[in-house]
Amino acid sequence: MQYKLNLITFLFVSFLLILTVGCSSGTAEATEPSGNDNNTEETSAPEVTTEVVFWHSMGGVNGETLEGMIEDFNDSQDDIFVKPIFQGGYADSLTKLKTSLNSNSGPAIMQSNFISSGPMIDTKKIAPIQDFVDLENYDLSQLDGNVLGAYEMDGQLNAMPFNASTLLMYYNKDMFEAAGLDPNDPPETYEEVKAASAQLSGDGKYGASFGVSSYYIEQFITVQGAELVDNGNGREGLATKSLLNTQEAVDTYTWWKDMVDSGYMLNLGTNVADTHQAFLSEQVGMTLGSTAALKKMLNGAEGKFEVGTAFIPHPEAKTGEGGVSVGGGSLYIMNNKPTEVQQAAWEVIKYLMEPEQQAHWYINTGYFSINKLAYDLPEVVEALEQFPQFTTALEQLEVALENNAGSNAGKGPVLGVYPDARTVTTEAMEKVLNDAQTPKEALDEAAEEITKKITRYNETVQ
Amino acid sequence: MAKDQKVMQSIPVLSSSKTKMKHKPKHLRIDQIAGYGFIMPTVILLSMFVFYPFFQSIYLSFFMTDPLGNVVKFVGFQNYVELFTDKEFLNSLKITFLFTVFTVPTGIFIALILAVLTNNKSKGMRGFQFIFALPIAMSVGTSSIIWLLLFNPTAGVLNYLLNVVGVESIQWLTNPDWALLSISIMTIWMGLGLDFIILLAGLQAIPDDLYESAKIDGAGSLTIFTKITIPLLSPTIFFVLIISVINALQAFGQFNVLTGGGPMKSTNVFVFSLYQEAFVNFQFGLGSTRAFVLFVIIVLLTWIQFKVGEKKVHYQ
Repeated sequence: MQYKLNLITFLFVSFLLILTVGCSSGTAEATEPSGNDNNTEETSAPEVTTEVVFWHSMGGVNGETLEGMIEDFNDSQDDIFVKPIFQGGYADSLTKLKTSLNSNSGPAIMQSNFISSGPMIDTKKIAPIQDFVDLENYDLSQLDGNVLGAYEMDGQLNAMPFNASTLLMYYNKDMFEAAGLDPNDPPETYEEVKAASAQLSGDGKYGASFGVSSYYIEQFITVQGAELVDNGNGREGLATKSLLNTQEAVDTYTWWKDMVDSGYMLNLGTNVADTHQAFLSEQVGMTLGSTAALKKMLNGAEGKFEVGTAFIPHPEAKTGEGGVSVGGGSLYIMNNKPTEVQQAAWEVIKYLMEPEQQAHWYINTGYFSINKLAYDLPEVVEALEQFPQFTTALEQLEVALENNAGSNAGKGPVLGVYPDARTVTTEAMEKVLNDAQTPKEALDEAAEEITKKITRYNETVQ
Repeated sequence: MAKDQKVMQSIPVLSSSKTKMKHKPKHLRIDQIAGYGFIMPTVILLSMFVFYPFFQSIYLSFFMTDPLGNVVKFVGFQNYVELFTDKEFLNSLKITFLFTVFTVPTGIFIALILAVLTNNKSKGMRGFQFIFALPIAMSVGTSSIIWLLLFNPTAGVLNYLLNVVGVESIQWLTNPDWALLSISIMTIWMGLGLDFIILLAGLQAIPDDLYESAKIDGAGSLTIFTKITIPLLSPTIFFVLIISVINALQAFGQFNVLTGGGPMKSTNVFVFSLYQEAFVNFQFGLGSTRAFVLFVIIVLLTWIQFKVGEKKVHYQ
């Protein structure tokens, strides 16, 4: 009996020992590669190489294209091995990044969307691209200065724009023709969109369906030349106040609601993909989407109808006041990695900026090339001839630059509390569309709420 | 308390060995070590994943955190004051309770009916039992994605079926009046498997001779159901009720995938607002405050359920 009990005790003590040993060896394994990134020779990378972990948010066609380019890079040399990891949408990815920053498990290159500039800078864990540029006098002049401008603060380039996009209005040329509208003269103003929608609507079809996305709303305000937050759109210092309740915003919300109430616009809520689906199944004549959706739209409409691309509309009274700001994303190098890894990450970014790479990226995704030399390459010239829709984004940006002339409104806001601000912005639209509040009331309340969040945030980032 | 005593009595082996131990202190010590050894793995795991985070969360609820979630400064009860003065707090509590009321009774009722219907030895019943228990094998994420497709306003099956019978399409997830109801329907389906299995097990534990003697006494099937099945099943139903209520109060996955708390915060349940504060806005202080308040609410509710429910439950 006593022997048996001793045996049980012994077994349990050994079980506990195994458990502890198991745990500790587990953590040792987990921390080693990340804590000591240049030692990855033995573990992951096949050659004697520096491993660069690259977190991106490119799904679908765009993701395949990006991973293909990275594979080409890995095959082209032996010193650097890039490991791309898809981390879901930009918002999810940013959340994961923030969680990873207190350990060393994060990436060396982080792809982040434009609106996350504020949160990214405030992490204080980014190595500004400007440092790498200055170190070797990298020639920035071949890149689009206007796109770079969006990522510059105090004359310092924080991130390298990689996938630049603007918001576009997509329209169904066949439906336009059937409704007696000129398929080559899409509506340009709020008023014209409404008039065209009136003609397109009926028979279970709608003139338009715009996803209730904060990005779209922000762009509608930006094209009118208005800023979204104070302190020069957050570019001359930490923003302290939301400007979401300006007349420009009220006009936009009023117009949007009017479209829905008149039965010209199908409201499918916040899910942008649903509006695209409705567009591709020819239920609606117009929809909004980033240039990055262009390839998807062209593929989806193939054999069914011809896709047209147009500038996003603005109120007639505000013609020439502003233009879209650059959307899409950029690449950050994280400074919590060893210098060699950061340098390797810079090499990767330089490779992705080469004209050939940018050309490939452009014609396969719809994100426009940041390297100006890419537009002279034969494959790009050919693609633009075949799909003139690709040029709309460029033209739109050109007009925007002319109108904005370096204004902070046109560069887009830099705001730390961007995830919350976006939720509040879309909620305000939902409240308006569901008759819970008037546009003015909803926006006043939203601006107040965002300001409250900004105040709280600013207290924590000194 | 009465139940605890019953539990103690129902472990005669242990208590008899205890009296024997009194004369042999050495054995007692070894027994104790063995006993602690047995519970140690659970204690270690619970401490790591439940108790430590729990106390850490209470601690964080008194602080403000920077964008990375690091503690910046002590703010006392400010987070609590902010939470209780936030009008969204009451709204989100209301939605959470509505959701519980929509899902729990309906879910248990349907599961009970299905369990009673399939609890017989007819041919093919195994197959039905398997089918009804199937939702248990699905994760919240998978179920939500499936229902996201069903709910799709333009290409979804539900609206297609409605249109076939001549009813207009419903904006399942984008109409604030419908969104919570839609998610409730989905949640009832998702919870059905677990409720069904537990209730079925409870039914199968009821001895056949009780039914037989009732039948001999001439009881009809309704009488048998209300006088024998329900009372004898009441501990199981009570158990299902408690865990369903806790599950409903803690529901999150389906809200995150299907609506993201919208439209117009009409599905902004408590745990979703917690998640939003802590893991999207990185205000761990505000998030922890919500977590602690939710904990208190759940403990209170469970305590009330025990107080009220225990009297009505028939333990054999």
